[in-house]
Amino acid sequence: MEQNRRGAQASYVALTIFIAVWIFMPSTVRRLNREAFTEFQAPALHLVSKSRDLARFWELKSRSSEDMAAAGRDLARVNAALELKLADFEDVRRENKRLRKIDSYTVPADYMSVVARVASRDSSSWWNRIVIRKGRNDGIRPGAPVVFGNSVVGRVTAVHLTTSEVDLVTSPGFRCTAFLEGDEQNRIVLVNGLAGNSLRAPQARISVIPVDYEERVGQVSKVYTTGMGGVFPSHLILGTIDLESQATKPGVSFKEGRLNPVRDLYNLQEVSVLVPLHQNPGEALLDQFQ
Amino acid sequence: MGWAWLILLLATYPWLLGADLATDMLAGAGVIMFISGACIIAPCRRLRPIQAVPFAACVGFLFEARRPIPDGALAITLVAASIFLTANKPLLRNTPRLLRAAIITNTAGCIVWCVAVNLALDPTRGASSASPWAQFILQVGIATIVGAAAFIPISLVQNFAMDRIGIPPAADTP
Repeated sequence: MEQNRRGAQASYVALTIFIAVWIFMPSTVRRLNREAFTEFQAPALHLVSKSRDLARFWELKSRSSEDMAAAGRDLARVNAALELKLADFEDVRRENKRLRKIDSYTVPADYMSVVARVASRDSSSWWNRIVIRKGRNDGIRPGAPVVFGNSVVGRVTAVHLTTSEVDLVTSPGFRCTAFLEGDEQNRIVLVNGLAGNSLRAPQARISVIPVDYEERVGQVSKVYTTGMGGVFPSHLILGTIDLESQATKPGVSFKEGRLNPVRDLYNLQEVSVLVPLHQNPGEALLDQFQ
Repeated sequence: MGWAWLILLLATYPWLLGADLATDMLAGAGVIMFISGACIIAPCRRLRPIQAVPFAACVGFLFEARRPIPDGALAITLVAASIFLTANKPLLRNTPRLLRAAIITNTAGCIVWCVAVNLALDPTRGASSASPWAQFILQVGIATIVGAAAFIPISLVQNFAMDRIGIPPAADTP
């Protein structure tokens, strides 16, 4: 017993020395340690995620032919409806093409799209993030925007060999500039993730909204990326705005609002990572320091 | 058995992965299933300090690796807990005491990582939660309940693994 106590005292001294060394240790060593433990867990995440896909595949495969026939019938109906819509979209496309020609608008082509499956989701009051099954080996770089269709999901914060961590739009670390639909002057507002409450839908905050901005009556206004800052391409949908009702006080020149993501960020199965083809100034600066 | 702690870590890892999957399923609710504290109790009863310490450190680092928690905050806490528990084995004499230790360690571990995350928050990164204390209490409360609920099945697997490796059983009167 006494020997145990003496051993413990020595261990506490060793632990104190270790803590001191750990604090003053170069951050590279700590990053290497974190990276090693992340890489250790990556195969398990891949395995679980792929097993989930396989289970879904077999679940679908085990359906009876009658179910398939019924699903086929339903699909045929949906297809018919969609074809009508497609014709409408064709008109819109032509109009869009014409307008772009007028404005000489160039679609950003300097991004490479990497489609990735979501391996796991992790959220708390302090962070909202997902882990995707693509990493450094697939050309993903930190800071790359992550989208689903034309809506923003988040931004890559950490890249490992075969996995990457993505901070969602609602994560407190997320920040970007945006335009509000219906604002003729295209004034810039700031979007940042909001440390949310557990058991409630995550949201983000929109600040620096001009006082004279009003939501269109009976319509939900969308929030678009500006394309400034070189991270997100312009005109991607960040979500919809929910203006906080606050009486305009004298001397106050800005309003605030909540951003509701257009998609349920925790039910996404797949996302696209837009990897810039050329190094942006931020990355170049980082490279210089490393 | 110098590598007993590593084999035990591999035996414990499915539980940690299970907790991560539960967190994945509850992502919409924004809560974390934290069991790392409960995972180090059964090994501390039977392993020597030199084996329990790396085991506790690895359990801590595995939790930290995938989350923006300051490096080493949880791992060092769990190492300190493992040193204390291996030096005071009478505290882990019977099942009720083990359960109590699991609850306390899991809760303490959760408090440490919550506090560490809050201290490390970048003050410029935006507004804090509307009710940070409520969130903190909710997260710690969940850790307490999960620690109590998960301890027995985890310790069963760990004890089975330790029996297979050939680690001597804990003395009745340590």
